Formats: sequence, C-alpha cells, structure tokens
Amino acid sequence: MIETRDLVHRYGDEPVVDGVSLTVDDGEFVVLAGANGSGKTTLVRHFNGLLTPDEGQIVVDGTPVAEDLVAARTSVGMVFQNPRDCFVAATVGADIAFGPENLGLDRAEIDRRVTAALSAVDMAGRGDERIDELSGGEQERVAVAGALSMDPDHLVLDEPFTGLDEPARTGLVDHLDALSGSGTSVVVVTHDLRDVRSLADRIVALADGRVAVNAPPGEADDELSSLGVRVPW
Amino acid sequence: MSTDTDSVELVGDRTVEDIATAALLAALTAALAQLSFPYPLSPAPVTMQVFGVFLAGIVLGPLWGPASVVLYLTVGAIGLPVFANGGAGPGTLVGPTGGFLLSYPFAAALIGAVVHRGSSLRDPATVSKPVLAGAMVAGTLLIYAGGAAGLMIVAGYSLSDAVIAGAVVFFPAEAVKIAATVAVARSGRLPSR
Amino acid sequence: MVTYEPGSSLAHGFDPRAKLAFQGGFAAAAFTHVSVRGLAAATLLALAVLATARLSLRRVLAAFRFPLVLLALAPVFAAIQVGPPWIDLDAAVESARLSYRVVPVLLVSAAYVRSTPVRESRAALQRLVPGKPGRVLGAGVAIVIRFFPVLVADLRRIRAAMTARLGGERPLSDRMRIVALGGVERAFDRADRLALALRARCFAWNPTLPALAFRRRDGALCLASAALALSSLI
Repeated sequence: MIETRDLVHRYGDEPVVDGVSLTVDDGEFVVLAGANGSGKTTLVRHFNGLLTPDEGQIVVDGTPVAEDLVAARTSVGMVFQNPRDCFVAATVGADIAFGPENLGLDRAEIDRRVTAALSAVDMAGRGDERIDELSGGEQERVAVAGALSMDPDHLVLDEPFTGLDEPARTGLVDHLDALSGSGTSVVVVTHDLRDVRSLADRIVALADGRVAVNAPPGEADDELSSLGVRVPW
Repeated sequence: MSTDTDSVELVGDRTVEDIATAALLAALTAALAQLSFPYPLSPAPVTMQVFGVFLAGIVLGPLWGPASVVLYLTVGAIGLPVFANGGAGPGTLVGPTGGFLLSYPFAAALIGAVVHRGSSLRDPATVSKPVLAGAMVAGTLLIYAGGAAGLMIVAGYSLSDAVIAGAVVFFPAEAVKIAATVAVARSGRLPSR
Repeated sequence: MVTYEPGSSLAHGFDPRAKLAFQGGFAAAAFTHVSVRGLAAATLLALAVLATARLSLRRVLAAFRFPLVLLALAPVFAAIQVGPPWIDLDAAVESARLSYRVVPVLLVSAAYVRSTPVRESRAALQRLVPGKPGRVLGAGVAIVIRFFPVLVADLRRIRAAMTARLGGERPLSDRMRIVALGGVERAFDRADRLALALRARCFAWNPTLPALAFRRRDGALCLASAALALSSLI
C-alpha cells in the first residue's frame, strides 16, 4: 500500500503538489490523470523517494519512505516517460540486471529475475539484443522489465503510451493487465484515458497540485474533460 | 521482499548526478572525436575531441572533470573506437600519440582548477573571457607538452622535432577551438553544478 | 579499424584480466629490449599473438596508419641535420630502432581489442579496481558505451540541420560552437534523466560484481606476463 499524507512539494515558492492525500491499495489499478503541469509527475516521484517533501510524507507498506529508501525503491518500481535515456547498459539483459545487481543478489538469482522479467513483457530470449536497435514499444517494455526485475509490489508508469503506435499501445495494455491480475498494484500517469480506462479500478485527477477527482471510471467524465484530460467516448 | 535493504549502500544523490554527467560528457568527447572539419592550415582534419576535455574541466571542475576524461580514455583503451580516426586499444595509450591522450585528464584538472578556483563550482557563464581563454590556453600547452614528451619518450624524437611535428602545426586550429569554447561557456546554456 | 568480433580463437578464450596483464608485460619487455635481437623476438611474439586472435597483419597495419606515419617520420627527422653533412645516418638508425619497438606493442593491443568484448573488459576493470573508484569506472564505462552511438547521432543531426540552413558557409569557429553547444545541451538533458533512473534502480556502491571465470590457462598467461615484465629489468 502506498499512502500519501498531506503532501506538499514546492519549486521555489510555487507549490506544485499542494496538500495531496491519497492511498493506492495492494493490487489496485489507479490511473493518475491531469493536464500538463498539474503535478502528477512530481507526486509519483515521491512514491519511491526521488523527491523529498516540503510537508507531509509517503508511507510504503507501513514504512515511511524517508526511513528506508532502498525498501521504497525495491517495493515501488518506476518507469519514466521516454525511457530511452534511462538505460544503463547497451544490451537488454545487462540493463535489466542493473537493479538486482545493486541489491547485491547472487548471480543465479539475478539471472532468474532477468529471465522472468523478460518473459513478463514477452521478450524472452532477447537479452543479448542492443537496446538502440529496438522499436519505441520494445524499449518501453525493456524499461518495464528493468523495473520488474526489482521484484516490486507496486509499479508506477509515467506517460507510458507517449510516442507508441497502436499495436505497441495495445500490447503494453495487455502486459499491464496481466501484471495487475498477478497482484501488483499499478499506477499509470497520463493525460489521456483512452488506453487504460477499461483497466482502472479508480481514476484520480489532479488540478493545480490538488486532488480534483477521485472516482471509479466512467463516473466523472465531464469533470475530467474540463480538467484537460482526454476521455474516450 | 526478501532483499536485505540494510546491506545496500546507496550512492548519494549528488554523486549519482556527477557520475551520470561525467559519463555523458565522456560519451560526448568520444562522439566529438568522430566529427572532423577540413581546415586549410592543418595537415590532418581537425577533430573536436579536445572540446570534451575543455568542457569537462569548465562544467565539472577539477575533480569530476578529469574523472570524465579518464572514462573516455578507458573506453578507448578497452577497444571501443572512440579516439580520433577510429583508434582504440590499450596500445594507443603507449603509442606515439599516447602522450597527448594521457595529458587530457591533467588538462581537464588544470582548466577546472583555474576556472573554479576551489571546491565549490561556479556557473561557467559568470567566468570572464580572459580567465576561460587563459585556462584553455594553459590546458592546451599542457596537452602539447605531454604530446611532445610522448613523441620523445616513445618514438625517440628530439625535442625540437617533437615540438614541430606534434604541436606547432596544430596551433591555428587550437585557437579556433578555444574561441568557440569560450563562446559556449558564456552562452548561459550550460548547467552550473 | 579493428574492433571486437565474436569468435572461438585461442585469444577469445582467455580471461580479460589475464589478457590485460599480458599487454602490460609485453609492453614493458618490448620497450626495454631495443637490440636487433630484442626487436626481432618482440616482432615474432607479436605475430604469434595476432595469429592466436586470427587477425591479419595487413588489417592491423591499415588500422594503425596514423601512428605508424608518426613513427616512420621519427628517423627521417633524426637524419636531417642543420649543418654539413646534412644527413646523419647513425642518428636515423638509432631513432628507427626506438620508434620500431612500438609496432609490436600496437599489434598485441589490436589482438586484445579483436578478441575481448568491451563488456568483459568492463567486468575486469570493476573487479581489478577496488572500492568506489572501481564502481565509478565500471558503471561509467557501461554508460559511455551505451550513449556513445546516441550522441554521435545527436551531433550528426545538429550538423545536418546547420548545413541545411546554409551553415556550411559560416566560419569554422561558428560551426564548431553550434555543434558543441547543441551536443552538450542534449548530453546534459540525457544525464539528468539518466541520474533519476539510476537512483530509482538503487544505484549502489556495493553491487554484485560481474561474472568472470579465471581458469588455469589464465594463470599460465599471467605467469608468462610477469616473466616478460621481469625481463625488462635484466
């Protein structure tokens, strides 16, 4: 469970996240929507302690993030927008192994996790391929696998559909559906509900750093539209 | 979670940024070395790898600047063709042009020390033109001194021959690079760290 | 250009640490033995090493043409005297021996590059260099290898865009400034995003080290390297 308690984050004097309280339950699929600049990305970067709150706190699985960053970062896997610059190694397998290596796991366990993460994104046997030669959709899946190899209980994806073509979007949606079905909670940050509304248990929308909508899908379409979120018909 | 989180010794946030920036600047140096411009006053095409050395000192300072250059040299030494003219391999560092390459980290350290004058780094845009140009002239002289020394030690050149073959013919192109780097440093578009 | 190529040659089968030790031992020996016998021995050994990597001499010489020109110029420079008799052949011969000793070292180095994937060299460095410097070196080298082609593509795009806007007619200093500034801005953007990803993935000082297997034959190569290094003291 990821609990956000009265979180405030300022850039300079300007609050970007302005008193957000929000809980993501184990196994839940939450879509975090909102227009550009509404504070979505800043909010989720607190979930694994990449940012430090000005006020309030985040508690992951009962432990405040600030008390154990390693626990927060293994428990909350994060996939960044445009993951092209987020790869550490030139080949798929070496990149996916990076997280487990940092955790000091033994080589056999690392190999097992890399294999499992690759099959979870339908890329089994492709560990030796060069990341730069993959399509955008495949790179997105490698980024997801890199997060999965940490064996997270929660997975956060920031605008994962940007720049992907239709088949790649559909493929990613299927993988997220399967992950969610296996008990991982999933948070998708997006300004566009078309791909994920059918999977969502709940849609949370931010406006000016505050929670403006927190409702099951389909119940707040008009409000979401007025907040600049793209809603499917 | 089965992982014992206490045993993981995280790299500090600031150091992660230093490592990432040093590595990206090393990759930029490698990429600049592959870019050559024909230049009438120079016998060989002019490459831009020394820009990477200048920028490493100017942006990253006297500690992480040389670290970035060491990464560049290491990647070349283990076989990625990142030196000018696609050179690579451990032998390159002890070959006739090894003196030039091995001087790069020292030049970056010298430039970083002159530009930043201390442990806290300054915004390059606030550094005066004479200081920037002076730092790079000093760095360039160091590189050519090292290069000439390499020619003498490795290939048995005499001092005067080494200076002619290794340095004098390249001076006009170096002046152009220093002028361009001063403009880059003062553009206000470089990050201050 | 000589780069790594997968293969099953004898040289491919050694541990990168043993091969690095051999580079050092060989260079030490080759640089100190400048008698004709010493140079001949180094040349024969270097040719044998090339054969173990199944690398042709011609290809290596072509790859090293720039340093070889510098080496060949040394005796020419040495022979020229500013006064009579104008040509000093003894000085040329002496200089030729000194510059020739570098050639076998370059050949052996090419064999290393040809037979050793950069991934293995990186693993060797991370294991050989202790502590935090080793971690910075290991991770840094991996990142440079990953981003080198990306940044080459960045620079090509910047240069093409500049040329398209008639930038080819601007002075060299202007063109270099535009390319360098565009390249460095993109590199810093990428570094910022990469740093965030490194932190999210628990970038640590004490990771699991990369796997390498040091076998009996690697031990033998290390002993041979040590013998070569010691021979330079005799």
